[in-house]
Amino acid sequence: MDQQLVAFINALRKNGVTVATSETLDAARAVDLVGYGDRRRLKSALGLTLAKSESELARFEQCFDAFFQFNDLSDIKPHAAKPDHQPAPRQRAEGPADERAEGPADAAPTEAGPTQATSRLGQMLLTGDRQALANAMAQAASAAGVSDIKVITQKGLYGRRMLLAMGLEALEQEMWQAEADSDPARQQRGRALRESLAQLRQEVKQYVERQYLLHARGDSRALREAVMRETPLANLHEFKDVQGLVRKLAKRLETTHSRRRRVRQRGKLDVRSTLRHNIPHDGVLLETHWKSQRVDRPRVMAICDVSGSVSQYARFLLMFLYSLTEVIPKVRAFAFSSDLGEVTHWFEQEPLERALELTLHHLGGGATDYGRSLTTFCEHCLEQVDHRTSVIILGDARNNHGAPRTDLLQKIHGRARRVIWLNPEPRRRWGSGDSEMLRYQAHCSWAEPCQSLKQLERFISNLLRYSQ
Amino acid sequence: MTQPPSDADIKAGLASAGYICNDRIALTLFLARALEKPVLVEGPPGVGKTELARASAQYFGRDLIRLQCYEGLDEAKALYEWKYGKQLLYTQVLKDKLGELLRGTDNLAEAMERLYQVDDLFYSRRFLEPRPLLQALTAEQGTVLLIDEIDKADQEFESFLLEMLADYQVSIPELGTLQATTRPLVLLTSNNTRELSDALKRRCLHLFIPFPDAELERRILASRVPGIREQLRRQLVAFVQEVRTLDLKKQPAISETIDWARTLVLLHAEALAPELVTDTLNVLLKHEEDIRTVQDQLRQLFSRLFKG
Repeated sequence: MDQQLVAFINALRKNGVTVATSETLDAARAVDLVGYGDRRRLKSALGLTLAKSESELARFEQCFDAFFQFNDLSDIKPHAAKPDHQPAPRQRAEGPADERAEGPADAAPTEAGPTQATSRLGQMLLTGDRQALANAMAQAASAAGVSDIKVITQKGLYGRRMLLAMGLEALEQEMWQAEADSDPARQQRGRALRESLAQLRQEVKQYVERQYLLHARGDSRALREAVMRETPLANLHEFKDVQGLVRKLAKRLETTHSRRRRVRQRGKLDVRSTLRHNIPHDGVLLETHWKSQRVDRPRVMAICDVSGSVSQYARFLLMFLYSLTEVIPKVRAFAFSSDLGEVTHWFEQEPLERALELTLHHLGGGATDYGRSLTTFCEHCLEQVDHRTSVIILGDARNNHGAPRTDLLQKIHGRARRVIWLNPEPRRRWGSGDSEMLRYQAHCSWAEPCQSLKQLERFISNLLRYSQ
Repeated sequence: MTQPPSDADIKAGLASAGYICNDRIALTLFLARALEKPVLVEGPPGVGKTELARASAQYFGRDLIRLQCYEGLDEAKALYEWKYGKQLLYTQVLKDKLGELLRGTDNLAEAMERLYQVDDLFYSRRFLEPRPLLQALTAEQGTVLLIDEIDKADQEFESFLLEMLADYQVSIPELGTLQATTRPLVLLTSNNTRELSDALKRRCLHLFIPFPDAELERRILASRVPGIREQLRRQLVAFVQEVRTLDLKKQPAISETIDWARTLVLLHAEALAPELVTDTLNVLLKHEEDIRTVQDQLRQLFSRLFKG
């Protein structure tokens, strides 16, 4: 099968478009039908067979443009004296693996005129045969193995290899000889060659850069994301693109959980459905159908400690919760350090970053007081906690030796569907020093450490799975 | 056998069936026919996904069979069902014949043996009620099968479709596997209310139809609303294109543009005017909030579009 197509599909996969083998076969059949001749048709046909969602289509188009965009090399002016050598403008979409590249090499003249170059590369440059140049470049690229490029520092190396494969040495020899010659025509040719070569270097550099973006960026992004997911949340703000990653993780959770499940209620017969399904059996009730109930979306009340030490963790929890509005439509957020306040309205009206900023500004900074915060929560909101509400508390439970008021937590637990405590500290430190975690833990449905995005993602996935 | 139509032919053919489309859509149909693959059509509501199926059925001269998906759709409603009533009726009516058949048998085993020889009669094609999928497979001249809003159906149904989409065959336990006589052209549409499974996507060509650009929309209007004046058509399309850039709950789609154009033609409008737009905006926009948003910005919109 077509080498070029396989290479392109490899590049697609590296850029996050999943392509199955069967789709590769489809694409090959589509290319057979459509051909490489018309760039737009080729793009549409490949897009139809390979990209299977709107976002994949966007990535596909980016990739296609980078991969099949061959330099028109229009910067390299033809220096040829003979005007009939001017090449006709060609389609840029011509498949790079074209055999035509061999053309000029066979016809290498033995005795060159003063304006004609002897080396093959020199000829191409001076006649300005863009098509031949583009083809030669593609061949040199595969000879140099440019698609194996891994890191950005290899750019120079691969560029050099490509130039060598295109016949740089012969060209340089010729150029030096021509420049040293006494004949002014030959000297001029040498200058023209030097000029063209500089442009060619530029083109090759750009080509390698594009290949790097195409092949290596995907790999390094995957690595980076894996690192980000394991990094403790407190250090995560050093990564610039972390919000993008959170959004991506949230999107994945959303698609996994967007289907509303039903649970069968054993013991409650759905009489109508049972009768209907048993008509074929002449009314004899063979199949039973049980009543079922939809699994409710969770109603979440998130209470976050935003005092200095823990505010970074709260930030990511809230980021997650508010990126999941599709599957968790009702989130009420509360924040506290020395006292508690509701911040839902900020998150609903302002963009995420701004809302976080406001929260930290108004409620962060004080000395943590869990007892007082729980009291405030109970005064204002205990009424609204009902058997459908999941209460998530995020904090390290370090109460500065104040009264922990576990009785209040017990009250909340009594009313809510469940109370979940997320603690940014590892389990072995719970209960050490002024940490009241062990006492609070007794009144939670479950408590778990939450230190990295990976743990946070797992927690939210569980929250959605068991929300009934 | 005649040469299969190229995508340019398809484009012209669809246009004659009243469906103006871009090259990409025509190429999709061309590939779908050549590769014999189903097409998954996605896009915002009202851009003509269902209409595409209707027009291609008309152009290819095939019957359109439509299967509307909804939650709880199952095999019995989509593929086939046994005609239980008819089976019962036949056994009642044929009671005497059965009695005759069984006469002269000495014991139960012998009677069973005789009955066994005829029981296939009651589970034959005659008692099969074909539903859309089976109809599409068994039609002699081929059909265009439209599976509308597949995202509304349950995931189980989606998996059930896989056999049909990959091999154009279905398995009926009593009869065996039925192969399509002429492979139907299958179009699935989705409004993206949920993510479809990868297995389904893998088996389909994927076509995304976005809102049309101004040029295309003008041509669509000219084709669908013949009585409209040139000036009004230009203004109307420019206005709708501009409205789509606003932050709205539901962007107006082509179907709404066409409805609006028809309304304006009925009102004998010659050109867009702010008062006229205010009165008829509820045809274009379906949410009270959106209408208010546009009305608030009506003056700016007009001055930007038609004076500048």
